[in-house]
Amino acid sequence: MAVADEVAKRAVVTKQNTNGASASLHQAGTNGQSASNDGQIERQRLRLMLLIRRFEERTYQEYSTPRIFADGSKEVKIGGFLHLYSGQEAIAAGTAALFDKSRDYLITGYRCHGASLALGMSPHVAMAELFGRATGCSKGKGGSMHLFDAKVGNLGGHGIVGGQLPLALGTAFAQSYKKTGGVTFCFMGDGAINQGTFNEALNLASLYKAPVIYIVENNGVAMGTQVERHSAEKDLAKRACGYDMPCRNVDGNEIDTVIAEFGKAVDRARAGEGPSYLVANTYRFRGHSTSDPLKYRSKEEAERARQRDPIGLYEARLRDKGLLSDEQLEAITSSVNEEVEEGIRQAEADPNPPLEARFDDALAEKYPYSPK
Amino acid sequence: MPKLDLVGAINLALAQEMERDERIVLLGEDIGLNGGVFRVTDGLQKRFGCERVVDSPLSESGIIGTSIGLAMAGMRPVPEIQFEGFLGPAYDQLVNQAARCRSRTRGAFTCPMTVRVPIGGGIHAPELHSDSPEAVYAHTPGLKVVMPSRPYDAKGLLLSALRDPDPVIFFEPKRVYRSLKEEVPEEEYTIPIGKAQVVSEGTDLTLIAWGAMVSECLEAIDRLPEEVSIELIDLRTIYPMDVETIVNSVLKTGRAVVVHEAPRTSGFGAEVSSLIQEDCFLSLEAPVQRVTGFDTPMPYYKLEKAYLPDADRIVAGVRDCLAY
Ligand SMILES: Cc1ncc(C[n+]2csc(CCOP(=O)(O)OP(=O)(O)O)c2C)c(N)n1
Ligand SMILES: [Mg+2]
Repeated sequence: MAVADEVAKRAVVTKQNTNGASASLHQAGTNGQSASNDGQIERQRLRLMLLIRRFEERTYQEYSTPRIFADGSKEVKIGGFLHLYSGQEAIAAGTAALFDKSRDYLITGYRCHGASLALGMSPHVAMAELFGRATGCSKGKGGSMHLFDAKVGNLGGHGIVGGQLPLALGTAFAQSYKKTGGVTFCFMGDGAINQGTFNEALNLASLYKAPVIYIVENNGVAMGTQVERHSAEKDLAKRACGYDMPCRNVDGNEIDTVIAEFGKAVDRARAGEGPSYLVANTYRFRGHSTSDPLKYRSKEEAERARQRDPIGLYEARLRDKGLLSDEQLEAITSSVNEEVEEGIRQAEADPNPPLEARFDDALAEKYPYSPK
Repeated sequence: MPKLDLVGAINLALAQEMERDERIVLLGEDIGLNGGVFRVTDGLQKRFGCERVVDSPLSESGIIGTSIGLAMAGMRPVPEIQFEGFLGPAYDQLVNQAARCRSRTRGAFTCPMTVRVPIGGGIHAPELHSDSPEAVYAHTPGLKVVMPSRPYDAKGLLLSALRDPDPVIFFEPKRVYRSLKEEVPEEEYTIPIGKAQVVSEGTDLTLIAWGAMVSECLEAIDRLPEEVSIELIDLRTIYPMDVETIVNSVLKTGRAVVVHEAPRTSGFGAEVSSLIQEDCFLSLEAPVQRVTGFDTPMPYYKLEKAYLPDADRIVAGVRDCLAY
């Protein structure tokens, strides 16, 4: 029931926010908080991207390298499926700069760690979920594809590719019905646009003028199939041309561009003018999942992509503008590392969910019979 | 004779039948260049070309729909769906189109296709990648549902499916893919669809299982005292079910336990159990027992063991039934 309570609470907050004071707040929000002179906001954005990267790389380690204990026993803390976000950070972090936690929603596919951290989930809670601990955001019973946070409108990870697209239309419908001024960000991979839900959701969204922003995180490949092999139209922005909504390509590795371009879509949605479709072009540094042999990409391609690492690009920009010194970067990096390590330490110490808990949450009711 | 695992046996059957029958075309996500998520179609695109082993984008509805059309036009399509959960987006095509093709057109058109789908848990995969929806499709008139438990059967059953005049869902238990190797003859042989196998003969109780649960049952039998004589039936085909083999066994033993991974409620065990009470009522010494998964989606892999029926739970179910 806790989740429903959270949602109810949020609905109340949302109502208050629609009146008066919050209006100006939200206007400031639409352009992303405007850049401050001393660069504090920019450094926060950089920190967020670094946090996501660090979290993902540590997650990868915990998945692939067993811990060896004093008695010689080994344990791998994370198993199952794992889809990492490294390389795509500017999209989640840029969205976070526009996101109003009191009334917006974000929904995504299974590659959901980055978006969740960007919306403020602590590394501890996220890692606890990956470790299968009771303190995880899905009580340790979901794992990597199951990061959700009802308090902030994080509708989280969805395992059926393309399954989240109509859901986003529904939450956007609710936002316009309740006149909250909220918008729904819907992330999907480039592969997802080939599902039938894409056509249904985009057409309906435009018909209903729903405040939803469809964002394709185009990392160039769906599992082992490159865009050139999965989409008849190679310019993915054009795939949404028939729905009477803005459709644009965006440099998904440049967080400032992401904020500016997504910001226009947010303005349009909040003004009641309807949905937008944006293709954020980016790159995924790691494999599709941790078992991907990466046969489909060359060393040269990966090397080129490293030159356009969203974190490197932003670091360089901030340095150019005099907003980032060596000392500042070092301080940010070490605080990020410490935050992630502390989260891991806590998650390790946390309890596993009790065995009986596996029967909870299928329905609101208690499990109907005593399991044999 | 080569020793093959389930993956190898299915790959061999596909290759041999593609050699024999030019109408066979494979379709699916990453089945060509990558050889499929479980590498079941490895090497087939190289050998038979891109026209016969077709890499498809993420479009399950399109994959199944294309296959139906191919079949109606006289081809023998073999679509692969990567995991059972992804049958969801293709459900309309499968259930509302494929399954009814013959009856809708009163036989003017038919749909001879074999849909290959990995099924079940036990490989540390999350929900949608660990489910056991065989009963859903067995409940759909017009579909056949097959699930081998071992490599030898997989080859023989798959050849039958590929030659069947109607749509067959060929469920491949993921847990068995690499877990067990056995001799699989090179030469052609078929195992009829609709025929169960008595894996071990016994007189005290009939255990009925399919897919990955068959080896759990074998382990359970090992753990039971020797004087307990268990007859184990591997259903092999879920629909049409081999009523005769089940009934003959239970008439002899008087007791039955059905085992499946799928949730309990409306699982295929309910059908088996109902059939036994209809046909064996006067011979029954105890109510038919079920050892099953729970009525919840699959949990995170750390709790997987606590969800899937295992030898311990099967032993307990057998003891309950014997003690009744
Ligand atoms: C309906 C469905 N079909 C297939 C899959 C298996 N699958 C998971 S991710 C994926 C590729 C998705 O690629 P893309 O949408 O580009 O997202 P990315 O992984 O690049 O972030 C596939 C085929 C799935 N989860 N759901
Ligand atoms: Mg992609």
